[in-house]
Amino acid sequence: MNKKIVAELELAFKDIEVNTPQDTRVEICAREEQILTVLGFLANKGYDHLALISCVDWIEEEEFELVYIITPYLQENKAYIEKGDVFLKTRIARENPEARTAIPIFANAEPYEREIHELFGVKFSGHPRLTHLLLERDYEIPPFRKDFDTRKYVKDVFDSIPVIPEEEE
Amino acid sequence: MDRKAIKKWLKDPEKMGNKYSLWAVYFCTGCGIIEVPPVITSRWDAERFGVIPVATPRQANLFLITGYVSVKTLRAIIRTYEQMREPKYTVGFGSCPINGGMYWDSYNTIKHLDKYIPIDGWIAGCMPRPEAVFIAVTHLWTLIDKGMANAYKKYRKQYKYYRRNQEMALGKLEWPPLYPISKDE
Amino acid sequence: MKIASFFLLPIIGFTVGIFFMGLSRRIMARIHWRYGPPLVQPLLDIIKLFHQRSISHGVIFEFGLLLSLAGGIVTLLFIPIGNICALNMSGGLLVVLYLMLLAPFGIALSGGEAANPNVSIGISRKMLLALSYEVPFLLALLAVMVEYNTISIVEIIELQRASSWGIVSLPLSGIALFLILPAMLGIRPFDMVEAPQEIASGPKVEYGGKFLALYTIERAFHEFIVIALFVNLFLGGANNPFTFFIKMLVIFTPFICISAVFPRFRIEQAIRFCWRLPTILALIGLIIASVWR
Repeated sequence: MNKKIVAELELAFKDIEVNTPQDTRVEICAREEQILTVLGFLANKGYDHLALISCVDWIEEEEFELVYIITPYLQENKAYIEKGDVFLKTRIARENPEARTAIPIFANAEPYEREIHELFGVKFSGHPRLTHLLLERDYEIPPFRKDFDTRKYVKDVFDSIPVIPEEEE
Repeated sequence: MDRKAIKKWLKDPEKMGNKYSLWAVYFCTGCGIIEVPPVITSRWDAERFGVIPVATPRQANLFLITGYVSVKTLRAIIRTYEQMREPKYTVGFGSCPINGGMYWDSYNTIKHLDKYIPIDGWIAGCMPRPEAVFIAVTHLWTLIDKGMANAYKKYRKQYKYYRRNQEMALGKLEWPPLYPISKDE
Repeated sequence: MKIASFFLLPIIGFTVGIFFMGLSRRIMARIHWRYGPPLVQPLLDIIKLFHQRSISHGVIFEFGLLLSLAGGIVTLLFIPIGNICALNMSGGLLVVLYLMLLAPFGIALSGGEAANPNVSIGISRKMLLALSYEVPFLLALLAVMVEYNTISIVEIIELQRASSWGIVSLPLSGIALFLILPAMLGIRPFDMVEAPQEIASGPKVEYGGKFLALYTIERAFHEFIVIALFVNLFLGGANNPFTFFIKMLVIFTPFICISAVFPRFRIEQAIRFCWRLPTILALIGLIIASVWR
C-alpha cells in the first residue's frame, strides 16, 4: 500500500535502504547526518505526527540505535497516504553519544529527547532544556544501559542507610 | 467494638475518641490507591467505622501509604506527614513499603520505608483486598487500647536519626528540621 | 426561669444541631445503600478533635473563629423555642437578621490570617452566596413584618396561634423561603463553599484540633438557627420544645434527601437561581401582603 512513499523516498535520497516488512509499516535505515532531511521530507509529504523516539542499546556492537516513529494524523493525510507508519532508524556510537535534536521539524520531540538523555546518556545538541524529567539524582552509568548493575546500585545506595535504633532508656 | 461502652468514654475520652474517629488523608501514593475508593463507597462501607477521607493533612490523623514509594514521592510523603496533627498513625499497605516488593532492585524506589518515617503496622499483599483495610483499622484499635501505637512519639525522640536518613536518601532538603536537633555528636 | 433559659438555649441548640448533622450523614448513607456512622458520630469527632494538638497561625486566626461562634450563640438567645425565650425584644427580627451575618465575617477574618489560596477562594464563594440568599430572605421577612404589623418574634408566634399558620396566610413568601433554605444551610446543591474535591474544603483547610471542633460547633448552631427561624415565622412556633423539634425534623428531612442526590452548583448558577424564582415569588408575596391590609 505504501509503494508511493517508498518510490518517492528512493527517488529523493540515495544511500538509504527502505524495506516494507508488513503492509502497514515502512522501515528506513539512514545515517546520522541524513536524519533531519529525511524527517523534513516526510513531514512535507503528510506524515505530520512524531509518535515516539526510542533508543536501543546494542552492547556487543557498541552502538546505540535511535528509532523515530512517524505516523499520519489528520484525516485528509490518512486518506491520501492510505495508512501506515514509518520507522526511521539510525546508529550512533556508544562512546560519548551525540545526536542532533529534531525540534525544528517536530516540536513535540522535546520530552522524548529529555528522557533518552536522562536514561541513556545521549546528548542532543540544540535542545533548549536537557534537565531531569523523571529521575532526581545523577547516576555514573545511566540506568537503562545494559552494563548498569541494579543489584550493586541498590546495595550501595539504599541498603547502606542504617535502621533507626531503638530508644535508649 | 466497644463504641457503646459509656464508662470507658468517661474514663479515657482521648483514647476512645482517637479510636472511633480516624480521619484518613487522601494521598494517593502508588498503584495501591485503586483499592481505596471501593473501601469508602457503598460496597465496603468504611464510614461505619468512623473512617472518612479528608482533603488536607491538617485535619487528618491516619496516613495510609499504599504502594511503592519513589524518591520524588518520598519528599511529598515526608512533608505531608510533618503537617499532620498529633497523635497520628501510619499504616504501610502492600508489600512495597515493607521491603521493596516487586521493585526490590530498582534504581529509583525506596526499599524500607521504616527508615524514613515511623510506621505503626504493615499489611502484606500485592494489593491487599479492601477487607484488609478493615483488618488494619481494627488491629490499630487494639494497639491504641494497649498504648502501643506510639510511632509519632518515636519520631519526636529519634528525630536526628530520621533526618540523617532522609538527607542520605534525598540529598539536600528544602525544609528546616521539624524538631530542634542538638549539635552534639 | 429567665437565668436558666440563658444556659438552656445554647445547650438545646448544640444538642439538636449535632443530632441533625449525624442524622444527615446517616440518611445519606442509607440512600447510598450502605450503613452509615452511628447518630452520635459528630460528637465523637468533636471529642477527638479537642484532644489533638493544634497549630495556630496568630491571634486574629483564633479571634475570628471565636467571633463567629459568639455571633451564633448570641443569635440563638433571641429565638424562642417552644415556651423558652431568653431575650424578648420588640425588634427581635431585625437583630436576628444582623447577627446572622457575623458568622461568615468571622470566618473571613480568620481565613485572611491563614494565607492559603484555597481559603480565599472558599471565602469569596461564601460571601457571594450570602449576597445571593439575602435578597429573597429580606423580602420574605418584610412580608411577614407587614402582615403581622410587628417585628418581635414572640408576638408573631402568638398572632399565628390566634389565627392560622404563616404558610397559610403568606403562601408565596413561605415557598420562597423554603427554596432558599439549602443555600442558607450550605448543603447540596449549594455546598460549593466547602467542596473537598475542588478547593480542598475551603475555609476550614487550615483548621485542625480545637479550631476545627469550634468550627463544627458553629456550623451546628447555624443549622439550628436557620431552621428554627423558619419554623417560628411560618409554621407557628410550638407550645413546648418537643413539638418544635418534630416540626424542625419535618422541614429538615426533605433537604437531606435532596442533598444526597443532586450535584453541585457553580457559584454563578447559584446566584442566578437565588435572584430569579425565589425573589419573584417573595416580591409578589410582599405586594399581596401590603395591598391586602
